Amino acid sequence: MDQNLESKKKTQYSRLFRRFIFLTMICSLVPLLFAGWAINIHYSEFAKERIIKTLQTRVDYHRKIIELFLKENRTRLDFIARTYSIATLTKDEHLKHILNSINRDFWTLTDIGIIGENGDHIAYVGPYDLIDKNYSKTFWFKEVMEKGIYTSDMFMGFRKEPHFIMAVIKNENGQRWILRATVNTDSFRSLVENVRIGKTGEVYILNSKGIYQTRPVSSGKILTAASGFEGEIHDSLKFRYLDTFDKDVKIKKIVCETWLKDPRWLLVVRVGEKELFEDVRHANRATLVSLHLSALIIFIVTVLITSHMVSVIKKRDREVERMNNQLMQTGKLASIGELSAGVAHEINNPLAIIMTEYQLLLDTEKRTPITDKTFGEQFAGSLNQIDIQVRRCTHITKNLMKFARRTKSVIETVNVNVFLREVIDLMGREAKSDGIKFISLLDDNLPSILTDPSQLQQVFLNFINNAIDAHEDKGFGTIILSTCLTKDTTGIVITVEDTGSGIKNEDIGKIFDPFFTTKAPGRGTGLGLSICYSIVKQLGGNIHVESEIGKGTLFTLTFPFKPPEDLLKHG
Amino acid sequence: MIGAKILIVDDEEIFADNMARLLQIRNYKVTAVYNGESAIKALEKDNFDVVVLDLKMPGMNGIATLKEIKNLGLFTETLLLTGHGSVDAAVEAIRLGAYDFLNKPCDIDDLIEKIEGAGRKKDDAWKKDMEEKLKRVIESPSDAFKLFD
Ligand SMILES: Nc1ncnc2c1ncn2[C@@H]1O[C@H](COP(=O)(O)OP(=O)(O)O)[C@@H](O)[C@H]1O
Ligand SMILES: [Mg+2]
Repeated sequence: MDQNLESKKKTQYSRLFRRFIFLTMICSLVPLLFAGWAINIHYSEFAKERIIKTLQTRVDYHRKIIELFLKENRTRLDFIARTYSIATLTKDEHLKHILNSINRDFWTLTDIGIIGENGDHIAYVGPYDLIDKNYSKTFWFKEVMEKGIYTSDMFMGFRKEPHFIMAVIKNENGQRWILRATVNTDSFRSLVENVRIGKTGEVYILNSKGIYQTRPVSSGKILTAASGFEGEIHDSLKFRYLDTFDKDVKIKKIVCETWLKDPRWLLVVRVGEKELFEDVRHANRATLVSLHLSALIIFIVTVLITSHMVSVIKKRDREVERMNNQLMQTGKLASIGELSAGVAHEINNPLAIIMTEYQLLLDTEKRTPITDKTFGEQFAGSLNQIDIQVRRCTHITKNLMKFARRTKSVIETVNVNVFLREVIDLMGREAKSDGIKFISLLDDNLPSILTDPSQLQQVFLNFINNAIDAHEDKGFGTIILSTCLTKDTTGIVITVEDTGSGIKNEDIGKIFDPFFTTKAPGRGTGLGLSICYSIVKQLGGNIHVESEIGKGTLFTLTFPFKPPEDLLKHG
Repeated sequence: MIGAKILIVDDEEIFADNMARLLQIRNYKVTAVYNGESAIKALEKDNFDVVVLDLKMPGMNGIATLKEIKNLGLFTETLLLTGHGSVDAAVEAIRLGAYDFLNKPCDIDDLIEKIEGAGRKKDDAWKKDMEEKLKRVIESPSDAFKLFD
């Protein structure tokens, strides 16, 4: 039963513990994680946007550089054509000089040549053997004739190598001629690719038909068609995601596209998304780790605090329970006291009558002897029993009536040490023959207290009697009496310790109950401790028991220096 | 003090009668009454050496009766029969001039011992009183009539 209750209480506390934890989690961790995640997502979106914007700006800037390069070279050609006459330019030396000076800082042009109106190559400086070629049938020749200035797409041409040319037409005294130059493919490509966008980044150019003008690093061949080309020409900067596959591994890429103005080429920049957003992801990870770490710390702290709180509550509860028990005990004693004193009084009168009847019978028997021997013996035996049992009843009623609230206590200054020595003296003689030794550990500096010595004597006689009784089976042992000040020095502590049988755990709560006894009928009334309890309470004191079965029992009594006010007034 | 006159006052009639019988057997002259009022009447009518008075009685209780008895100004001594719890009342009774008290139920031998003590005390007091009066008569015989009035 008790164990059941105990375990029920335990589950109750663990439920309380869990509920506390749950609530604090709900109230602190959930919002923290929620807000943390939300902020994190928001932040990374924002950061990604910024990165993409930066990328776009860079791509746009790069486009301008490429455009500028092309335009600059066209302008150069135009300038040369305007400045020099065909006569000057067809001098090989001169043309070579021009090419060299253009290429002095940066190897811009592969070759340069002059073509007549009929398509014949009039002059040429460059690594290829092209001087006797006729260009009248080539697509660019027609374009130049039509437009005056022209930049071609990449093509193979007579040299059978991918290249693109720029050409201007010049009208000199009715004679038309064309200045044509080939842009160095490698230089152009290095210019195009000269934008730093990480390890996975690649830059290339497509023409308006989606043909590779420069080759991307990872895939594709120059002058072949690029896949996924849309062909729509526009002046904005487009940005999209693209899933590519590298041996079945999906790689997400970010693609930025922008159209050059002249010629209409498409500048494409492709970066692995992973690389581009590496920093964001890193920051992300760091934030999440610290977020979860702090959540973990909060959790641990919560668990610690909660377990501490629950243990405090547990302690409080136990304290309250103890006080309640004490109150109940006091109340129980008060009502039982009244009742039993009343009953004892009522029983006393019949007992007194039985006693007189017994004595009358005894008297009569003496004067008129009974002749029948058996009857005589029986009669005498019965009379004897009546006497014994009436005395036993009297003993009980005497004890019961001690419960009745004493209206007058005699309050005196009592030196407890002296008082206890007297009590030991009184009891010691009897106990010594039983093989029980008394030891007193009395604090010599103990102040005297105000109390009722006759009641106090009754209390200690009871305790010592019980202690002696507890040694009945052993036949020997020790009873230790000690005194000292209470910890907070507001009163005194008296302990009565014995090495007797001890009290069973389940009995501890009952020993102060009236009529609770473990002694044989006729030996114990079960009233001793309950009387002690009510006396000690009345004197403003307290009793505490500790006991271990087989080892002994320790009763700790505390008394204030002064009994409660009302006792002082009425006493 | 064989033949002392004893008045037993107890509301428990059987107890009072039994007591009376027990004492009569032991050669006392005993009267039993069952309440305080009758006790006072009996004392006014007759002379008693010792009154055995129950403390707890309906109507006039032991203490009240004791006060009345004391008011009569007799030499009669009073023994109180009390329950065990009523130590305070017993102490009060002694203060009021009772000879002693006995816890109920009591041994007849204890009672007789106390009765003897009370009787002796009463006799002593009576004798002393007598001697004093005699002394005064001897000193001034003219006052003798006043004294034995
Ligand atoms: N010092 C003690 N050692 C062991 N048991 C004790 C001791 N004091 C009291 N007890 C137990 O408490 C019970 C009640 O004691 P008490 O009220 O004095 O009644 P009683 O002595 O008449 O049995 C005893 O019967 C005994 O079982
Ligand atoms: Mg006891």
